[in-house]
Amino acid sequence: MVVPLYHILAFAGLLFTIGVVGVLFRRNAIIVFMSVEIMLNAVNLAFVAFSRYHGNVNGQVFVFFIMTLAAAEVAVGLAIIVSLFRNLRTSDISEIRLMKH
Amino acid sequence: MSNIQSLTYFLPELILTSSAMVIILTDVFFRGRNRNRLIWLLSLVALGIAAIFLLLQTTPPDAIFYGALAVDPYSRFFKWIFLLATVVIYVVSPYSRELDNNPRHEYYLFMLLVVFGLFLMASALDLIIVYLSIEIVSIGSFVLAGFLKQERLSNESSLKYVIYGALSSGVMLYGLSLLFGIAGSTNVFDIQAALSGVPDKAHLTLAVALLLVLTGFGYKIAMVPFHFWTPDVYQGAPTTITAYLSVAPKAAGFALALRILGITFGSSPDMNLGEWLPVEGLPFGTLIAIFSAATMTVGNIIAIQQSSVKRLLAYSSIAHAGYMLMAAAILNAQAVSAIMFYLAVYLFMNLGAFLVAIFIHNRYGYDEIEEWKGLGFQAPAVAVAMGIFLFSLTGLPPTAGFVGKVYLFSVLIEAQQFWWLAVLGVLNSVVSLYYYMRILKAMFLDSEPTGERISGHPALSGTILLLMIPVLLFGVYWSPLMNLVRSSLEFFSPGM
Amino acid sequence: MALILQRLVAPARRGALKHSTYECGEEVEGSAWTQFNIRFYVIALVFLIFDVEVVILFPWAVVFKDIGLVAFVEMLIFLCVLTIGLVAVWRRRDLDWVKMVLPYARGRYARLTRDPD
Repeated sequence: MVVPLYHILAFAGLLFTIGVVGVLFRRNAIIVFMSVEIMLNAVNLAFVAFSRYHGNVNGQVFVFFIMTLAAAEVAVGLAIIVSLFRNLRTSDISEIRLMKH
Repeated sequence: MSNIQSLTYFLPELILTSSAMVIILTDVFFRGRNRNRLIWLLSLVALGIAAIFLLLQTTPPDAIFYGALAVDPYSRFFKWIFLLATVVIYVVSPYSRELDNNPRHEYYLFMLLVVFGLFLMASALDLIIVYLSIEIVSIGSFVLAGFLKQERLSNESSLKYVIYGALSSGVMLYGLSLLFGIAGSTNVFDIQAALSGVPDKAHLTLAVALLLVLTGFGYKIAMVPFHFWTPDVYQGAPTTITAYLSVAPKAAGFALALRILGITFGSSPDMNLGEWLPVEGLPFGTLIAIFSAATMTVGNIIAIQQSSVKRLLAYSSIAHAGYMLMAAAILNAQAVSAIMFYLAVYLFMNLGAFLVAIFIHNRYGYDEIEEWKGLGFQAPAVAVAMGIFLFSLTGLPPTAGFVGKVYLFSVLIEAQQFWWLAVLGVLNSVVSLYYYMRILKAMFLDSEPTGERISGHPALSGTILLLMIPVLLFGVYWSPLMNLVRSSLEFFSPGM
Repeated sequence: MALILQRLVAPARRGALKHSTYECGEEVEGSAWTQFNIRFYVIALVFLIFDVEVVILFPWAVVFKDIGLVAFVEMLIFLCVLTIGLVAVWRRRDLDWVKMVLPYARGRYARLTRDPD
């Protein structure tokens, strides 16, 4: 059975929305990063689907780059959280507001 | 062009990456006392060699690595801007006291990697490279923004930068995936060719994809409403990095956005003429005009209320992105050259203003406007230089900022479109006069001469005075710079 | 079916002991939601990077036979870059679990002191 493109795209769109909502509304920095990962995985899914649909491998190569760069980004993000935690003893981003707006 | 042939055109970038690796190894194996100095010197030498190779590169426009990167005068112009900004920051970094509590070797290393990313941004022709280059620049900047590990402000700014950065790059990626889905290729020229024959059904998707991609680019150039990170990051980051972030990645963002969006959504791939093609139901030029209006108005209005000079300059840099977007609303050769000219001028005046902020910060450790009182008597040369930078940022003659703004406005006037935007731009310049003059007033009028003199390190003061020269020179004799910009207005396109 | 049957037959006794977490028959100590030592994070970060970068090897392996020597050299360069990263982490003692930080060590113990970074 072949799963039609529309189903995959709808799923990717849904997953992406979940990720965006998570980034915007969750308060724990680590969960925010997990939501970012969900967004990126939704994008990966869309890329692979389109890549199969068009028969163009570039989409899958793009997925590899997204995966590696996302790992690097999250590693830097976690390192920053660790450093922040050492200073503030919290990873709740709503408590991190030293600057006036 | 195949991979091995491409390497000869890729020498500046190769120098940057290989010297970054040499620096990592030096960092871990050399434990002497002069390690910071040594790594500083190594990075400067690397930048110098990269500059020499860039100078020797005079080939006609071409695409390397199977059409992934462009080597053309347009990208070379921007690479010079990045190199210049980086060298200025390198020269003053050893004398910024803020950084004293942390070892600077990693700082130099990450700046080198950021420059590499900026180089890629200026020459990207493939969606993969677009994402890759933006991420290289972003990840380096995240670390640099949080470089003051013991300071909560720096930590906080870095965390905000990472979260907003990850969010916006995710959104941009979703747009890129839709674009890939519509066009079936990651090469921008293929996308351009495919978009001209898109069935009507896909137009809504195309508009959505465009908006999503614009989010990512808008984040890099701090365009309202994607500017939320700017003031906090600029305030918390070390001042040298703030200066750098406000100039180099912004220029790279413009270079990337103009090239990618210009090719994919413009009316002609070589960008020599024409305007934005309206994507069905979405007049693109008007959209950019609205973003531009919002960006400069928000930047200026909030800048008025700031008491911290770093925050003030952050909001004013948002406003400057708005002025440049004004010309981007009309996509023709004149508009692109006006933006390039303004970016070059903006490099000198904005870096200059931030360096004076470092000068003050070295002395007092704060960056409130209060601290600037009486600077006119304590360090007359630096204060006069700051005055000139502020005049230039406002856009008053006879400074380079005036000439740059005249070019930006003349784009709108000659195209006879968006009159309201030009009027708004002038009004905004008047508003900016108010808050820039507050700093000037604090420096010269708010206190009596006390006879006290403060002096920074000669390298810092010297760089400030050196930056003053082009700001004044291009204000009265700008044709060499304009000629350079015009000759750089040559893009790679596959038809050549 | 079996689940339902089991549910019906089994005696329903509820109590504090029954609801507690099973830890090899031992009494439960504290909550599972404790804060881990920050070193776990550092090791995890290093692992994460090297683990994920290997994904680049997959597309390379697919086309390796078609491209041959060039692909081999290219991948060798990539692995060299990764190794430099590993060497940096190792030399900076980020992989050590017990860090020798003895700021006031004297005499023959002075050499244990970690370089001031």
